[in-house]
Amino acid sequence: MSLLLFDILLCGLLLALALASMLSRQLSHAVILYIAFGLLMALCWARLAAPDLALAEAAIGAGLTGALCFTALARQGQLALSPVLSWQQRCWPALFVVVTFCGLLLALLQLPAQPGPLPALVVQNLTASGVSHPVTAVLLNYRSWDTLLELLVLLLALIGTLQISPAAVLHRSWGLSRSWSRLLAPLIILLAGYLLWAGASQPGGAFQAGALLAAGAVVLKLNQQLDWLAWRNIWVRFFAVAGLTVFTLSVLTVFFLAEAGSEPLWLRWPPELAKYIILLIEVFATLAIAIILTLLVVAEQPQTALSLARADKTEDIDG
Amino acid sequence: MAELSHPLLLFLVTAATLVAIGVYGFICGPEPLRRVVALNIISAGVFMLMVVLAYRSNGPGAAYFTADPVLHALVLTGLVVAVSATAFALALLARLGQATAPLPTEQETEQETEQETEQETGQ
Amino acid sequence: MIILLLVLPLLTALLMLLWPRIAPLLTLLSAAICSMLALQLLLQISEQGSRSWLLAGWPSGLAISWQADTLSCLLILLSALLQLLVGLYAFATRVRDKLKQGFWPLSSLLQLSLTALWLSRDLFNLYVCLELLALVAVALVSLSGRIAIKAALNYLLLSLFGSLCYLLGVVLLYGVYGVLDIAGLASQWQTSWLSNSALLLMSLGLMLKAALWPLHGWLPAAHAAAPAPVSALLSALVVKGPLFILSLLWLQLASTEQAQAMALLFAAAGLAALLFGGWSALRTPYAKKMVAYSTVAQLGYATLALGLMLKFNQPLIFAALWLFVLAHALAKAACFLAIGEMSATLGGKRLTILKGASQTMPLAMFAFAVAGGSLIGLPPSGGFLAKWALLQGIWLQGQSLFWPLALLLATLLSAAYVFRVVVLAFDRADPVAPDFSPQLLPQWLALLPALAVWAMALFSEPLLLLLRLEA
Repeated sequence: MSLLLFDILLCGLLLALALASMLSRQLSHAVILYIAFGLLMALCWARLAAPDLALAEAAIGAGLTGALCFTALARQGQLALSPVLSWQQRCWPALFVVVTFCGLLLALLQLPAQPGPLPALVVQNLTASGVSHPVTAVLLNYRSWDTLLELLVLLLALIGTLQISPAAVLHRSWGLSRSWSRLLAPLIILLAGYLLWAGASQPGGAFQAGALLAAGAVVLKLNQQLDWLAWRNIWVRFFAVAGLTVFTLSVLTVFFLAEAGSEPLWLRWPPELAKYIILLIEVFATLAIAIILTLLVVAEQPQTALSLARADKTEDIDG
Repeated sequence: MAELSHPLLLFLVTAATLVAIGVYGFICGPEPLRRVVALNIISAGVFMLMVVLAYRSNGPGAAYFTADPVLHALVLTGLVVAVSATAFALALLARLGQATAPLPTEQETEQETEQETEQETGQ
Repeated sequence: MIILLLVLPLLTALLMLLWPRIAPLLTLLSAAICSMLALQLLLQISEQGSRSWLLAGWPSGLAISWQADTLSCLLILLSALLQLLVGLYAFATRVRDKLKQGFWPLSSLLQLSLTALWLSRDLFNLYVCLELLALVAVALVSLSGRIAIKAALNYLLLSLFGSLCYLLGVVLLYGVYGVLDIAGLASQWQTSWLSNSALLLMSLGLMLKAALWPLHGWLPAAHAAAPAPVSALLSALVVKGPLFILSLLWLQLASTEQAQAMALLFAAAGLAALLFGGWSALRTPYAKKMVAYSTVAQLGYATLALGLMLKFNQPLIFAALWLFVLAHALAKAACFLAIGEMSATLGGKRLTILKGASQTMPLAMFAFAVAGGSLIGLPPSGGFLAKWALLQGIWLQGQSLFWPLALLLATLLSAAYVFRVVVLAFDRADPVAPDFSPQLLPQWLALLPALAVWAMALFSEPLLLLLRLEA
């Protein structure tokens, strides 16, 4: 009974925050409400027996996305009131949304209570996968192609952002923030390392560790303490790209080494070596994810080769 | 009609409502930043739906971890994809410099493009 | 060696990020190797039949499934060849057009994401490929700088909304059937409110991403604002990805009742695209926007063919659908490269800049006219082949004259906007003087796909055979 009460409270708060965020007049209010919404979502994942997701959502969904939205707000300087939509403009979308909501709900209520065959299959093949945590097994062994593409999506977002390279946000951090971030830095590195190591057998893994590292790095960068962490630094570029490179090279190595004998299968880790391959990939993936997420959030790189801003400036000088 | 247990039903309805709220926010806007936040709310709703479906596998006498790991992995992938896309969209927004104003109409865009071209060719 | 087709563009793109100086040469090299590999793959598959893989060897359902059938191999070959061609064009014009450095890694990654998409037969993997494709496409559009940012943002937001609709549909299907791969779903498929809504949601998302009427609003602005080589790649290949997934869904998953219900809607949307797209192409004063509206119109042919395929289930109509896609990809690449070349050399964005272009830039104008001939459907071009297959398919079903008449009207509209340009180009009274001296190599590169689409007629028998077997 008390659990049901907790659930009702949680869901009610979530809906209230989401609605308030969409309907608020000031954009800054919308963003703040969204960050609170993200934190409650993390709580929700914990309630629904998804600790991996709770970790990831708290770091990525609430933390980094919130920081991104705030940076976007800050870049245009003023916190103006948004134009108000009239009654008539709002009622047709609202009607459409209500109709689709009813249709969706009808469909959702017909979902069966029995799970499909996959969870049992995962547990069955777990010993051959090299790790003992099912989610890590799915991410880095059964569906590793998805993970590779997802790392590529991250890198692509970074390339795109570097190209766009919005103007730097000038800021000066305050003393308390600076000293606190110096305390925070070693703690975050320790926690991230633990999450990475634990990911093989407990909730954790490359994404959560990378997101945590990124969150720490963002705090440090906002306090002007990590000046070397920029795209122009060749080592930063190397490690950002290394996640994908190591993944691809392991795939190629395994493919060519397995040539002799059975039919080589794309992306198959040999069961004896699977644990070590996965750990190797995870280490580099964590570093890559951390670097990419940090650069995405605090991307102030108008001088890189990829940047359009630099090209625009040279056009202005010539033309 | 509904076969799922009560807590799951509650979260199911919440997920559907979140998707609805997000869609409403996306259609109405009017600022692009609000649309980006709306997209994130829609993805939160979809992920909640996935986690509810994963929770179905949790039996009372079950071993340590029985929630559907495939769905959890998919949600993790989705989270990372969502943050990448949000970051890129916000960078575009920032470059546009109009996080609070609605996007201009097509005619205004064409006129501005024309003016820019004339300036470029005129020099 | 399918693994190389994927790994090579990826590794070269990563290398280019570390070492930007060698980027153009590396891209061209990898594109050339991939083209040869793709050709080898196509020949192998057409001899031995289609092959399926379960990635990493895990049991079906747990692993991601891939399939290389002749259609996928044709599309992979098309992507590789177009990337090579557009890469050569970009290399030849990069100094004059001030092409930004980011084009090279992005073009390799575009080829990778397209290849991954054509091969994949797993619904969630297709979602990740769609997101990858969207991000690459938007990053490519934004290469134009300030003028393209608004269009790029609009494209990105709508694309993300479409992906989320698609994902919601996938989740609904997983909730009921518990598997993600298409073969597994097809064996358990039942018509129900759930599968209906899942199909509708996924189709909504995919139509938004493929710019099928009426969800095409973002395309003209985005494709017109992008640099010429990028517009060629976008119109030719990127919008075809979601179309491929749409056809997979409706032809392999949907039950007959669902297919019959949606068939007329698709056909009507296709006709509307042809009419409204053609009409807008006639009215717009900008050159690249006209070609972009032409893409909207030509995608109407594909939608029409999909609708008719759902209704009649005739293999010839399936062949017609993919012949349209192939012919359009080549013809549209030629159009965009030619128009881009002319706009850059003559200096301007409006159609009026093309006045007298047949005198100043005869080769590029010839390329546009030849490609336009395929868009109209003049025999014996690839476009004509596709239309002929479609008409034959309809004839065999003994239907009324409605569809042929509608196709005739659409053909007349396409003829109108192509002749609009050609007539202007032959107005030699007062030709527009070029800003730069016309370069021959880019114009030849623009002519190549136009000639290729007419050369499709030489391969018409094997193509029709291969595609009909797929249905």
